[in-house]
Amino acid sequence: MTIQDINSPPGATGGLSRTRFFLSNEFGLILLIIVFAVIFGLSARGFLSPFNLFTLGRNSAINIMIGLSMMTVIVTGGLNLAVGAMGVSAAMVCGWLIEGLGVPWPLAILGGLAFGAALGFINGWMVVRTGLHSFIITLATMSIFFGAMIFLTRAEAFRDLPAAFSAFGKMKFANYLSPLLLVTLAVAVALAWLYRATLTGREMLAAGASPAAAELSGIRVDRMVILCHMLSGGLAGLAALMLVARNGAAIPSMAGQLGQDWLLPAFLGPVLGGTLLQGGKVSVLGTVLGAFLVTMLSSGLLMLQVGAFWVQTFLGLMLLVAVLLDKARRSYLARRNLA
Amino acid sequence: MSEQKAIFEARGIEKAFPGVMALKGVNMTLMPGSIHALLGENGAGKSTLIKVITGVHLPSAGTLLLDGTETQFSSPRDAIAKGIGVVHQERNLFPRFSVAENIHLEQLAAGYLKPINYSALNEGARPWLEALDLDIDPATPVSELSVARMQLVEIAKALSLQSRVLLLDEPTASLTSSETERLFTILRRLRDGGTSLVFVSHKLEEVQEICDRVTVLRDGANACESRSMDGIGRHDLVQMMIGRAEGAAAWRHRDTTGQPEVLGLSDVSTSLGHKGVNLSVRKGEIVGLYGLVGAGRTELAKAIMGKFKVTAGKVQVNGKAVTIPNVASAIHDHGLGYISEDRKSEGLILQHSVLANAGVPIWRKLAGRFGALRDKRIHDAVLPYLQKLEVKTPSLNQTVANLSGGNQQKISVAKWLAAGVQFLIVDEPSVGIDIKTKAYLHELLRELADAGTAILVISSDMPEMIALADRIVVMDDYHITGEVTNSGVYDDISHAIMGLIHDAEEDSGAVVPLKEISV
Repeated sequence: MTIQDINSPPGATGGLSRTRFFLSNEFGLILLIIVFAVIFGLSARGFLSPFNLFTLGRNSAINIMIGLSMMTVIVTGGLNLAVGAMGVSAAMVCGWLIEGLGVPWPLAILGGLAFGAALGFINGWMVVRTGLHSFIITLATMSIFFGAMIFLTRAEAFRDLPAAFSAFGKMKFANYLSPLLLVTLAVAVALAWLYRATLTGREMLAAGASPAAAELSGIRVDRMVILCHMLSGGLAGLAALMLVARNGAAIPSMAGQLGQDWLLPAFLGPVLGGTLLQGGKVSVLGTVLGAFLVTMLSSGLLMLQVGAFWVQTFLGLMLLVAVLLDKARRSYLARRNLA
Repeated sequence: MSEQKAIFEARGIEKAFPGVMALKGVNMTLMPGSIHALLGENGAGKSTLIKVITGVHLPSAGTLLLDGTETQFSSPRDAIAKGIGVVHQERNLFPRFSVAENIHLEQLAAGYLKPINYSALNEGARPWLEALDLDIDPATPVSELSVARMQLVEIAKALSLQSRVLLLDEPTASLTSSETERLFTILRRLRDGGTSLVFVSHKLEEVQEICDRVTVLRDGANACESRSMDGIGRHDLVQMMIGRAEGAAAWRHRDTTGQPEVLGLSDVSTSLGHKGVNLSVRKGEIVGLYGLVGAGRTELAKAIMGKFKVTAGKVQVNGKAVTIPNVASAIHDHGLGYISEDRKSEGLILQHSVLANAGVPIWRKLAGRFGALRDKRIHDAVLPYLQKLEVKTPSLNQTVANLSGGNQQKISVAKWLAAGVQFLIVDEPSVGIDIKTKAYLHELLRELADAGTAILVISSDMPEMIALADRIVVMDDYHITGEVTNSGVYDDISHAIMGLIHDAEEDSGAVVPLKEISV
């Protein structure tokens, strides 16, 4: 513990960081994914068929995106209950731009994403101005956004979307890989880069970890919080557009009443992945793996013909077990002075 | 006194933490009716020993004797029940609870389901607050108090337990000298009543003033067994604590009258209630801002930094009138910096790494195209300052929360050295840091000033103020009451300063004329 130790450049502590990786959340998730893949592969017929792998990839692409959307707000120590409502609203705006205004679809997609970010701005701005917890704000805006959307669309879907949409949703690489999954992975890599190696990402993390200290160190905490919510809105919009590509139509009820169907996947990904609910610490890889594990479990259990309600119960149990295991892992690390 | 029997004794106490032997066989003997100093540098094991004595930690080896019979504390509650009270270094109050609730936390009501009688609770708390001359309504939530008042409430809480042995871990860390004096009067009264007190402090002046016995720890072992203070001078204490003689780092005369003004306030009022504040800090000058706790010094600092609004008057940076809308602008546009007194919640991001903390103010400067920020660049920029301050950490990726208080303070200073600001406000720079580090920090601030940085030091520690400042401005009740040019002569300057404060207090309400006192 002498002064020499801090001379070593970051990342030069090879042996220790390897041990740490084996004790990390991400490693645990990879292990679980392998274990369950083997179990399902052996017991559920057709689990490893190209078609099932394709749908699994497509569904996990959407679930991961939903998880990432929630993660970007959890970074600030807040949460976003309105992910579903915002996402669907953004997708409906995109559909309306195409069908109602005849805007070319690439522009309409950008329009939808921008609308999602704008809804995020409203959330972030209100959180910053009122000083209330985002729980309250997004609980309210969830109802407001969803209600307004249902009113304006008269609960009708946009079904005459360009063929490009559903073609993209049906497209397969090498017979089993969905391009949606590639989109999601590209977004995940971009987010990982954001938090790891950019000024904005670092400032978001600092603002989330300790707003008072961050402000006195010259970070515009308010702006960062708003930016996080905007990012969340944009990602929620992207998730909903991917859902549109899968369904071939923009349907107001595609995320359930008030968008609530998204909440469980939204929290499962980040929490299983080790993103700290208090804010300031993030694991993009963990969120990706966590959301993937959840999608795989639902798919495998359904193929084993476990009833859909039992799947929900199982996912809820899993969230609890994961959190408890994580607590045990953390106290082990603390006792060994590794973290 | 030697024929008296010890009230409490710790023999051969060992305490092992994962990877660290915090105590390696420590002995301490406490006598009734005595104030016992427990000294040592940061990390010497004082706090660990206190936690062992008060039942927070179970010792790995060794025995505790109460009144000559062996005893064991299974929990802090158990220790309290056996008459051992403590004021810990860290705040242990519940911010949302009232003062009275905090004081009576161990016994809020007679039974689990009995309703709490709040008026009785508040009445019961009042005498302990009055004993400390603390003018607070017991029903006030603790969160509304200043840091110093919280400290006093904590002491009041410990007093209310009426312990036979009372341990105080740095009780004066955030108190002003007058509050400290008041505390000492009470401690002496307790001592005369037969209580055995243990006093931990880095301020040796205080230790010499009030303690009659002493134990010194160094690296988890006794550098001196419990003994009487008779015949032990300051130099002996320092020698025992750090293992060598103290390097003199005394005040020296610095003349900056010819330098241009970096920060100037004229007739500034703030949204917090400052009125007509005039202040000028020149390039390379160290100005002290002295005042009692609650005088509005930290608040003024934060208003300068743009955290609170300046409602009237003129703020000038380098001679140009400026309006600073937020802290980010103060730091990045005007080159102002602020080292907070509250490093745990405002100075550092505890759950982030050393590297992440030390670099925050310069991130914007280091960011490349598309806002890309590379660890290597931050590392190269902050490392020299972390080394210069001798920050002890296993690696720069270590979480700051896991480091000792002294090291945390060093990081919160290093971060501003790396930022290279032209004007630096240092709020209570040496709260909770040891003598060696403190002397080092003072020398560092002087070096920084010599290199051209304008520095405003806020401190309630009179010796510190007189050791550091070129000029001392006194603030009372959100007004500047006058200023003293420092001559380095402790007695003269401290009288002049206290004069400025008491004058203001005597005719409080009336507008106090600004005076210049030269000594």
